[in-house]
Parts: sequence; C-alpha cells; structure tokens
Amino acid sequence: MKELIAVRNLRLCTKDCLCLYVCPTGASDTEDSVIDTARCIGCGSCAAACPSGAISMVPVRYPPQQKKAETVLAPSYVLANAKARQEQAARQLAAAAETDGLYRLLTAVAKSVRLVNEDLLRESGYMLPQSGNAHALLRGWTAEPPSPDFPAEAAQALLDALPDNDA
Amino acid sequence: MRYVCPICGYIYDEAAEGVPFDSLPDSWACPMCGAPKLMFEPEAAPEPPKPAAAPAALDDDLQQLSAGALAALCSNLARGCEKQYKEEEAALFRQIADFYTAAAPAAEKPSLEDLAALFRDDLDSGYPGLTAAAQAAGDRGTQRVCVWGEKVTRMLYTLLDRYQREGEAFLAGTQVWVCSVCGFVYIGGTPPAICPVCKVPAWKFDKIEGRRPA
Repeated sequence: MKELIAVRNLRLCTKDCLCLYVCPTGASDTEDSVIDTARCIGCGSCAAACPSGAISMVPVRYPPQQKKAETVLAPSYVLANAKARQEQAARQLAAAAETDGLYRLLTAVAKSVRLVNEDLLRESGYMLPQSGNAHALLRGWTAEPPSPDFPAEAAQALLDALPDNDA
Repeated sequence: MRYVCPICGYIYDEAAEGVPFDSLPDSWACPMCGAPKLMFEPEAAPEPPKPAAAPAALDDDLQQLSAGALAALCSNLARGCEKQYKEEEAALFRQIADFYTAAAPAAEKPSLEDLAALFRDDLDSGYPGLTAAAQAAGDRGTQRVCVWGEKVTRMLYTLLDRYQREGEAFLAGTQVWVCSVCGFVYIGGTPPAICPVCKVPAWKFDKIEGRRPA
C-alpha cells in the first residue's frame, strides 16, 4: 500500500507542467488541477521536479497524537467555553448592529474568536481528525445523538471514512 | 528610552525618533500592526508576575465543552481535513459544527461592555493561568496557543474600547481585516504585509464586508 500521496498547492503552482512530464500514471493532469489521489502511486517524482515547490507529499497514515496533560486540558476547556460565549455575544451584537462600522467590527470579532478557539481546541487533543479523541466524540454522537435534529449520519460517515490512529 | 508594541514587537526608540514617546498624540498607533499607543510598554519593564496556576480542578463540569465550544472543535477538525485535502470529510465536520453553532444558547442582552469584560477576564486570568499550567507541563504547543491568543484577545479588547470612545468615525472609510490563521484583527486600507502575530503573508487576511457591498 502506498505511504504517500502528492498534493498540489494551487496558490504556488506556476503551471510549468513538469509534474505532467514526470508522472508515471497521469495523476497530476486533471481538469481541475487537483491531483487525482486514486491514481497517484506516491512516487514523489512530481514534487521533486516542480520548480515552484507547489507539490508536497503527504502521508496516507498519520502518527498518534501528542498526549495532553489533564492539568493543561482543564484550564483549556474553561477558556474554550469562555471563547464560545464571546463568539455568541459578538454574533448577536453584529446581528443587532445598526451601523456599518459596528457591524463589520463585530463580525470580525466573532470570526476572530472562532479562529482562536479552533486553535485552542486543536491543541487540546483534537489536532487530527483521525485521532482517538475525535473518534470517541463521533462514536458518542452516533450512539446517543444530542438532539433529534443532530446530523448523526454525518458523524457515522466520518467514522467510516477516517481511520482511528490511536486505536 | 524604548517602547515595545505588545502585539508585534515593534520598538519605538525615542533616541532615533527624536520625539519623546509621551509627546506622541493619543491617536498614534503602531506603524506595523495598528496597536494603539496606550498598549505600548517601556522596554525595560519587568514581566508582570504571573499568577500561580489555579489548581486544575478536574471535575466533570470543567471537562464539559459547551455547544459553542463543540462548534469550534468541529470547525477545527474540518480545517484539519482541508489541510489533508479531504474535502468530503471537511464538509461533514462543518455540518456538525453548524449544528452546534445554531445550538449554542443565546447570550442574554449582550452589550459591548459585557463582551469587553469577557475579554478582560481572559487577559487577567484565563491566559495567565493556562500559560502557567502549560509551562509546568512542558507543553510548548499550548504555550504557543497562549502567545497568539493573548495578543489577538488584547487587540479585540482594545478595538472594542476604541469603538466605545470614538464610535463609527474610527471605522469610516477604512477596512476591517481578519488573519485567517490566528484571528488577528487589523484596521486599515490594506492588510499588513505579514501578520504581526503569526507572521503569515498578507493574502491570508480576509476583508470583512459590510451588509451591503461598498
């Protein structure tokens, strides 16, 4: 089984097309410029040939996540819940804003706080979608959906699609 | 005397500038990142003592993430899928994130003052406490989160404060930008060449549009 697949960063790609010349399977030549991962055999020729550094080889399987200390997780979760309250307040204030400047400022605040919270939670045991922690959450949601309108089928589809690296 | 910007590290050197820092108008702001004058600190100032880490209570209540936090957790995992070029999985995590965003309980009559106070709490206790816990555990990843998050939060607090003092005039005819990586908010015609907090290039900034396109 292949260990790596090639991915192209379209922001960096300068269309020198050397990847097309060297690819043994034609995986790098697609109508939307996204490398065909099913065809890619992970040989790395395209990444080595690209003059713009636009292609990187990413692993198919990822290592287990770094373990987090409970003494760090507890204050992280408290902060994450505080960030969630801030985002919610900013969102409501933006919706109620009567002036353009205030609307833009509070929309930015809500977006900013969400990004900060995503970063915090990523570092709190949820870095990889393939992690045991992510799987435990997904399993909990499929076993006991938190409400009738919860998209349990999405959680199940994720369990089916993503391996559990910590299993 | 030299004064340091707490956001981006820019140094205002009185000797080089020829103008004492105190003589600068209150409207003066960091030329690199827009942080206001009042946030600058004298370079020699000792680090404020960090409050001792609050003993981490590990009871179940503290381990519970709210609906809003689960929304951020899932949109984070969606980003993780995007980085691995897993678009379908990213869309599924976004679907769960959207569920939790909608499920988050409404704040009761929120005000700008309330929001500013929540930021103040993070700056006064949330970040110092988490930083101390991360240092004690040798967790450099979480220390990094604190470095970025504290700067971003300080800027948000300052922007709310400035809006309350100056009102709409402060945002008229200019743009609001958000760094799509760390969340740093910048006010100006064009985004900074590099993010003063996380150092990504200008194109990583998103412009916040008004309700009507300008």
